[in-house]
Parts: sequence; structure tokens; C-alpha cells
Amino acid sequence: MVTNDNEQHKEGGLLNNLSEMLKGVLDGIVLEIISRGEIYGYEIARKLRAMGFDGIAEATVYALLLRFEKNRWVRVTKRPSEMGPPRKFYTLNEKGMEELRNFWARWNFLSDRLNKLRNDGGASG
Amino acid sequence: MSFSRETTEKIRAFAREQSRHYLEQAEMTYLENLRRKSSRTKSRVLAKLAKFKSRSETAVEAENDLVLYMSDYMNDLMAEGLSEEEAFERAKNDLQYRSDTEKSADLRERISSYYETLDPAVYEAIGLFYAGFLFFGGTVGALAGLAAGGGRGAFLAGGWIDTLIGVADGGAIGIGFGLISHAVITLKRKP
Repeated sequence: MVTNDNEQHKEGGLLNNLSEMLKGVLDGIVLEIISRGEIYGYEIARKLRAMGFDGIAEATVYALLLRFEKNRWVRVTKRPSEMGPPRKFYTLNEKGMEELRNFWARWNFLSDRLNKLRNDGGASG
Repeated sequence: MSFSRETTEKIRAFAREQSRHYLEQAEMTYLENLRRKSSRTKSRVLAKLAKFKSRSETAVEAENDLVLYMSDYMNDLMAEGLSEEEAFERAKNDLQYRSDTEKSADLRERISSYYETLDPAVYEAIGLFYAGFLFFGGTVGALAGLAAGGGRGAFLAGGWIDTLIGVADGGAIGIGFGLISHAVITLKRKP
């Protein structure tokens, strides 16, 4: 029982740290998910959970999508829903694709430098 | 899965209230992004923001989006075994706008960075600048007042008021120089 508690505590700590790290890359993750095909808001949250990103706050995707719309990174198609208001389906437009390309370029740069740091202390420059 | 009329009304009321906060957050982040790109865009963005705020259609859309988002989440929770009421309470708690936004996190980071980089030597230097300029200004002012008042003879005969005015003026000029030095140091230390 004590072991389980410790494991849960460790996992909780890991997820807390993970959500801090994710703040900087969540835009890219969601842009990538949208780039794979038309999708609606809550479906993105489901995908993130299925990928193991349980620590992300429930409202995060909703807030991100509002910002994506403001930034004009997405194309929105409205379709009737069973709940009454029309449901929005998102795809990336050219500006969103460019943002996604920029994200991966930043990611590759960071990942490359971090790997070098881990492997040889960054000595290979 | 559809909800009872009462729950549907509660979802709608929650979404109406909370979507405003999320929308404001999205607007602010958008504004900050544009500011970062160019300071010249400020007036353009403010005009755009005013226009955006006045478009009730955007607010209604944000509200509808949250209604659907919350309903989907509640359906998932109910599929896991929660009752409608429990699912609503849980969704309400999880989707509630938190003030711990990027803005406040950024502010906390800046305050913590300010205290981390606080250098006592800088504040000592600022204090010395004030004191130095105050003494310097006071002395120059006193000498100028003494000279303008007619020298030592006039001072002893009751002309000390000119010297006093000179000291006060010099002191004010000294404080002025101290403030300018403080501003220069602050600007130099600005990250």
C-alpha cells in the first residue's frame, strides 16, 4: 500500500512537471493533430488523453482553439449538432501550416541541442 | 446523450459566464503576440479589439463552443458511471476559468526574476547619487544665494533669506539630478 502511494505520488509529480514543460509545446501538438484532418474541439482533448497527456487541464483545448481562431491559423466549418448550437470543425489554413512548420523547426533545434547536451555535454557544438 | 432541461439551462448559464473570461484571455494573448511582432501595430490592434468586442456574434460563438465542449465532456463522464448531476459538477469544476493564466504566470515570473536579480550595490549607488546631488545642489545653491544676496555683509545684516532660497533651489535641482540618475540606472538594468 505504501509502495502504491509512493508510486502515485511520483506519477503525480511527473505529470505536474510534464504539464509545466507542455505549456511551451502544446500549440504545436494541437496544430499537428488538426493538420492530420478535420476535427472538432473535444475530439482533440480525447486524442490528447489517448496519447497519455492526462495532466492537461480540461479547458486547455477550448482556450487554445479560441486563440487559434483569433490568430487565424484555422479554417472553421460549422455543422449541426444534436445539442443545438452548430459544432465547429477545424482544419489548418496556410498560416496555421506555416506556424506548424515553424514549431517543428524550433522543436528540431531544441531537441538537437538537448541531445548533444545529454550525449556529450554539448562538446560537439 | 441529451440532458434534462434543468441541466441544459445550467450548462448554458455556465458557458455564458465562463466563455467571456476565455475570450478575454484569447484576445490578450493575441494582442501580446502582435505587440511582440511590432510596436507599430498597437493602435491597429486596439481598434481591432474594440471592433472584436462589439461583435456579439463572436461572444455567442464562444459560448456555444463551450456548451458543446462541456456537453461532450459530461457525456464521457456519464459513460464512466457518473450521474448527470455529478458529471455537471465535475465538468463545471474542471472547465472553470482559472486566474492562473499566462498573464499572471508571466507577472509572477517577472516579480520573482526582479527579486532574484536584486543587487544591493545598485541600490546603494542610487542612494549615493541622491545624497551626492542633494549636497552638491544645496552647496551650489547656497553659494549662488549668498552671492546674489550681496555677500557676507548682507547675509549678516538679514539677507540670509536669499541664501535659504538658494539652498532650497539647489536641493531641488540635486533631487532632480538624482531622479535622472535613478532612471538611467533603471533603464540600463532593464532586461
